[in-house]
Amino acid sequence: MSLQLVANIVVLAAIYALVSTGYVLIYRVSRVLNLAHGELMMIGAYLLVATAGIFSGNPLLALLLAAAGGLAMGMVVYAVLMRWLTGEAVLAAVLITIALGILLRGLSILIWTTQQYYPGATFGWHNPSVRIAPGVQISAASLAIVFLTVVVYAGLFVFLQFTRWGVRMRAAGQNPLLAEQRGIRLHGVYAFAWGLSTFTASLAGMLLSLDSGVESTMATIGLKAFPAALVGGLDSLLGAAIGALIVAAAEIAAIQYVNPLLSDVVPFLVLLVVLAIRPWGLFGSREQLDRV
Amino acid sequence: MNEQASYKQELALFGTPARRRRLAAALAVSAVLPFMVSPFQLDLANQVLLASIGALALMLLTGFAGLISLGTAGLLGAGAYTVGVLVREAGAPFWITLPVAAIVGAGLGLIFGLPSLRLRGLYLAISTLGLHFVVVYLGGEYEAREVLATGVMIDSPSLAGFTLTSGRAWYFVLLAFAALALLVSVNLQRSRTGRAWRALRERDVVAGALGINVQRFKLLAFMISATMTTVAGALFAYFRNFVSIDAFSLYLTVQYVAMIIIGGMGSIPGALLGAAFVVLFPYAIEAIAAYLPARFSNIVFALDYAAFGVVMILFLLLEPAGLLGIWQRIRNAVAAWRAPKRTARASSP
Amino acid sequence: MIELHLNEPILAIDGLQVAYHRIAVALHGVSLRVLPQAIVAILGNNGAGKTTTLRAISGFIGLDDARVIAGEIRFAGQRIENQAPHANTARGIVLVPERDKVFPNLTVAENLAVTSSRRVNAAERRQLEALVFQFFPPLADLRPRLAGLLSGGERQMLAIGSAIVCKPELLLIDELSLGLAPVVVEDLARRVSSIRRELGITVLLVEQNAGVALDIADYAYVLETGRVVLEGAAAELRGRREIRESYLGQASGDERRSYRALRHAPRRERPDA
Repeated sequence: MSLQLVANIVVLAAIYALVSTGYVLIYRVSRVLNLAHGELMMIGAYLLVATAGIFSGNPLLALLLAAAGGLAMGMVVYAVLMRWLTGEAVLAAVLITIALGILLRGLSILIWTTQQYYPGATFGWHNPSVRIAPGVQISAASLAIVFLTVVVYAGLFVFLQFTRWGVRMRAAGQNPLLAEQRGIRLHGVYAFAWGLSTFTASLAGMLLSLDSGVESTMATIGLKAFPAALVGGLDSLLGAAIGALIVAAAEIAAIQYVNPLLSDVVPFLVLLVVLAIRPWGLFGSREQLDRV
Repeated sequence: MNEQASYKQELALFGTPARRRRLAAALAVSAVLPFMVSPFQLDLANQVLLASIGALALMLLTGFAGLISLGTAGLLGAGAYTVGVLVREAGAPFWITLPVAAIVGAGLGLIFGLPSLRLRGLYLAISTLGLHFVVVYLGGEYEAREVLATGVMIDSPSLAGFTLTSGRAWYFVLLAFAALALLVSVNLQRSRTGRAWRALRERDVVAGALGINVQRFKLLAFMISATMTTVAGALFAYFRNFVSIDAFSLYLTVQYVAMIIIGGMGSIPGALLGAAFVVLFPYAIEAIAAYLPARFSNIVFALDYAAFGVVMILFLLLEPAGLLGIWQRIRNAVAAWRAPKRTARASSP
Repeated sequence: MIELHLNEPILAIDGLQVAYHRIAVALHGVSLRVLPQAIVAILGNNGAGKTTTLRAISGFIGLDDARVIAGEIRFAGQRIENQAPHANTARGIVLVPERDKVFPNLTVAENLAVTSSRRVNAAERRQLEALVFQFFPPLADLRPRLAGLLSGGERQMLAIGSAIVCKPELLLIDELSLGLAPVVVEDLARRVSSIRRELGITVLLVEQNAGVALDIADYAYVLETGRVVLEGAAAELRGRREIRESYLGQASGDERRSYRALRHAPRRERPDA
């Protein structure tokens, strides 16, 4: 296997891993599977298109504003919609996220049409190819994605392990009733989990848009990243990272050695294999199966 | 004379005079309908009939047996594609393609149902999602290999010189299939299988402890539901004279899920109501869109998505019992309004 | 601290009726009084309504679709029925649940640190945490251990400890002894007694093990199928024949008693209204 192929796998894995953090955060903290995650990621990218249009001379500001918008977006979604389902059956919440995804897809086409946007071009940036080793080229945006994924994972790890809010979030995920009893406000914790989730998703969306533009089918990447989270066990960040590597490796290998058309289905083949062999994933626990 | 006076009456499908009257009325209306509405409206009615087959199938699986499935679009596509491939490769007539589609459906039902032996709820739904993508991939593979950029064209089915093309003819055919699906559903609901499914839905562990062969009934539910769905897909292929894998997206699955939610989960009338609602909804949106600025009316499908998403959210949040729940509330309110009012004086200490 | 005369109950329940799913009545008019700084025990068999009573007080009544349908619960004079759990925690009513009483994948230290009661400022929190390690010295060595890996007794200590860090006025303990060895239970009971003494908090203890409960309680109520059937000072109840036979397993006389005879033995006593 050539080094270029390995590089491609790492880049794709980074994308899946970064997007998966959103699935894991929400599931771990509130046991909800957010199937609108792909659409939210896409809206994050569109946010950059919007801010880029206004602040085309100041890319950093545009990026920060879009990222802040991404954070706010998740909290708003929770406050307006998901909070009413806290305490209800998980399946109802998941169905609502599906409906939300459809709503967002429709809205984004109504607002931005089906045209393809290149916010990078608005900044005058043309995503040069970077030579990271002899015979190995990846785009600059892809390199940025890999770095960002590492930073985000490190940041999330530190946050969850060592900060007060992080420990509270973990506690709420393990035992919501007891958490309420001990003074932790579940609505606040859940809103923040949603905010963090859409924040990382928006970062992924923004970088992807800088790499290859954004248009209305970008949300599919979000769905393809889901098997990575599942392989890891849905509530483990480390698991999601490993799952992303597995899925990316399988996908690239299939495209390279079998059939390029397999690209969209390989993640789900991996998903089916995992569900057949070890449904609770690498780092999940058996009890999880019964909780749903 | 609406009460059932004997066990025999309860067992019979139309045991009471009231039910028989309703059946007669329904038959009369359905017989006359195609001659009283415009061709466009007739086509709508046909679409609703076709959709109700799939809706009933999903209702059996999810509403009755409590098995979550997101594989409806994949199964519809499999049915449609079976017809497409057989017609294209072998020129097979409908009285071969339909049974083959049914058999394919049973087989796929078995496959889709296997995960349900180990998984529940969310995880089961995810497994059916994965299988959906596999089916879609296989269809896409076929189209790519045969270089069918726009799908497979299919001639209308014909028998003994008579070709099924007119709206009215299709109406009666689809009515027959829908009635068959309805009969199957109603009978299953009242049968031993239906009771076993109800037990499964509540607590499958307990059901197993009570001696119900959980595995057999779960697979049976998937197979029956899948067979109905693939046959619906096959009919769809003939109805539209055309099959393309693009039509069988996740959105289609969500529409069917919405049918049984909006109609009212777990009930047969609910499935039919939901099918009608979801099929007619885009047309209502289109009608409204005519009044909106051109920018919006140009991308009506996006307006469709957005409006559909909003309606589904509203139903899930406000009326999880669906249209039937709303209907029930209206009936209760009317009954309360009509009931003789009692004064409070009589009972105070 | 709440301003109360020592003879005014900190918790007063009158005619409490709780129903599940709007139809299954679990409590049929329970009345009880808890004086400040007392340890009061609620005894009874499974299904008597003990846990339901605690849930009604702590605000977790909404679980399993249950509601207070009649009666009052007054805490320091204020009515608290059907309010959200965090509202009651903010008042100082802290519950140690029967099951799922700790965060299993958090360490002991994190379990104590994660409490977020608004009643407690940073300085008080440090004091309370130190107190917890005084009351439960074994926990000090277990600080880095994951709570899910603790033994039953250690877990119970942690659960009570994390309740203490919330600065409770009224500590509700659901089944102190469940699943624990007698030696461990006695030890825990003694510690609860000393906690009450040193912190001046009030304890309402639900227990199936009447012997242990009556050893540390000042006053006790006996619940049966949703009603109070007996109440009195703990010392007095311990001597009562009914309690000894039904709950402490001590037969009187030589006759073999049948279960049926016992069930129909007159046992109702009117509490002083």
